[in-house]
Amino acid sequence: MANLKRKLERLRSIRENNERASREVVEIWESVISKNLENLGKEKYVVLEQICIAALDCFKLGIAEQCIRELYDEFPNSTRVRILESMLYEADENYKSALQILNDIIKQDVNNSSARKRKVAIYKSLGKNAEAIKELTDYLKIFAADVECWQELSEMYINEHDYNKAAFCVEELILHNPHNHLLYQRYADVKYTQGGLENIELARTYYYQAFLLNPRNMRALYGIYLASTAIVNNTKNLSLKKKETTNKIIDWCLKEIKDKYTKKSTSDLEEKLAALEI
Amino acid sequence: MSKRKAEDHVAYSEAAIRNNLSIVEYCRTSVSAISGCTAGILGLTGLYGALFFVFAVTSFWFMLLFNAGIDSWKKYFISRKSLLLNGVFGHFFTYILCWTFIYGMVHVY
Amino acid sequence: MSTDLIVDPQIRSWVFLPIVVITFLVGILRHYASILLSSQKKVELQQLADSQLIIRARVLRENCSYIPKNSFLMRKQAFNKEDGYLLQKRPPVTQNMMTDPSMMTDMLKGNITNVLPMIVIGGWINWMFSGFITTKVPFPLTLRFKSMLQRGIELSHLDASWVSSASWYFLNVFGLRSIYALVLGENNAADQSRQMQEQMQMTGAASGMPADPKIPFKAEWEALEIVEHHFKLPDVEKEILDG
Repeated sequence: MANLKRKLERLRSIRENNERASREVVEIWESVISKNLENLGKEKYVVLEQICIAALDCFKLGIAEQCIRELYDEFPNSTRVRILESMLYEADENYKSALQILNDIIKQDVNNSSARKRKVAIYKSLGKNAEAIKELTDYLKIFAADVECWQELSEMYINEHDYNKAAFCVEELILHNPHNHLLYQRYADVKYTQGGLENIELARTYYYQAFLLNPRNMRALYGIYLASTAIVNNTKNLSLKKKETTNKIIDWCLKEIKDKYTKKSTSDLEEKLAALEI
Repeated sequence: MSKRKAEDHVAYSEAAIRNNLSIVEYCRTSVSAISGCTAGILGLTGLYGALFFVFAVTSFWFMLLFNAGIDSWKKYFISRKSLLLNGVFGHFFTYILCWTFIYGMVHVY
Repeated sequence: MSTDLIVDPQIRSWVFLPIVVITFLVGILRHYASILLSSQKKVELQQLADSQLIIRARVLRENCSYIPKNSFLMRKQAFNKEDGYLLQKRPPVTQNMMTDPSMMTDMLKGNITNVLPMIVIGGWINWMFSGFITTKVPFPLTLRFKSMLQRGIELSHLDASWVSSASWYFLNVFGLRSIYALVLGENNAADQSRQMQEQMQMTGAASGMPADPKIPFKAEWEALEIVEHHFKLPDVEKEILDG
């Protein structure tokens, strides 16, 4: 019993931290939970949902199906369970059935956001990027403040090489969360890729900001270096003074990078994770 | 709970702060209810009762700060003062109710 | 203890205590009854989109200094131009409360869980336990409080700190709020006084429904109109190189 309790605790922490430890979850199911379904108490259905999604992640469709059946017994009319069912079809690459379920749900309840999001995911896995983008923009017209979706959309636009629109999405993200250095870095990346002196200068500014927010962000440091070099090399009539400062920046960046590598050559994993600090 | 953004800015995780505050609120309500009951049993009247409330709330505040760490309370709460004074009237009302109730039970009849 | 009155101990066990227990249990009951009766509010799509738009406009206003100037201007244009997001024509909200049956049932349910028990229990307590002196508050009070604490007893010579049964009931109704918060968690439905306040507002401005999205939109439009854009980032270069 103590074992079960401990495992449930672990599952809870995975849920709360949004970890994607699907394999572990499935293992927990196989070792403990499947035999103790009746002893789960009030957490039972949340745990079942979690296991179902994890099982889909690991392509253990049998387990997922069992969970869904269990959930259907309790909530026969729940849209949440129906979404799980559609995900099962999706994992089985039976996209037509999955889409049909989702469309039904949306018809029933126009503002069911998770069904709409699943639809985008399906289009994406079908490789229909244009349709996924269209679906997502339609979604964002209603749920204009859904940060996750702006992020997804920005990534899709980047994949489509539509950097102007991607930049717009990242701006939206920055507006919603102005203290996240990774967003500034992403924005700078997009701007740098777009090219052109103005954009590159802007990119450098944003790399600075990312670096300021998290001085361990190596990528931002590299970004400053690259952008500065590009500025020096690509502009013909750069004033002497400006050239000098830019060169100084380049030197400073190189020094900084070297310093960091000599200092941190034996750094442990924690140190590396700290660089991602969000 | 908190992280350092730059040298002089500290960014707080809003959800965590709110969680902390709601837990503290819970404790404060309990403290005022329990201290109200105590005052009633002791049979405090008039000004003594009010003083007892002040005593209970401040001692709870000190315990809280002590528990959070004398130096590290800043990690969990934004302001010390609001920790002491937030919703103090509401708690006083709870205190009075419990006080009156228990006092009535024990001493009036 | 200089008690000038001697109160029959039977009152304690048959009036004083029951009132507390009854009010408390009724509160708990109301909580569960309202859970049982609550219907999921169907949110209109348009309403949802409106609220999200407001959020977006607000973050734009608050954090605009982190994005480049032309990005800001572009967004401001989209929000604030003649038929932008914030000024677009929308069908007037003609939803009449009386014609919408779901609103009616909601109101009825609200009344069943709020007003009815209040009247029934209050009346019952008044009838059952009227005219008792139940307790004495342990602190002196001025005569002003007499009418508040001694409802149902008209004795001009009685000290103001004595409490009558009806008043004790009302004290409990309003005072148990935080105890409910302890027992049932935050945001419970047991709290009569809070619900009463909501009821008051309800009658004032047609319930919790944001009757007309135009008003918050207009406010947001004005706020956005006067925002000045200062790009915060150009200074960071200096800050890093100096620091």
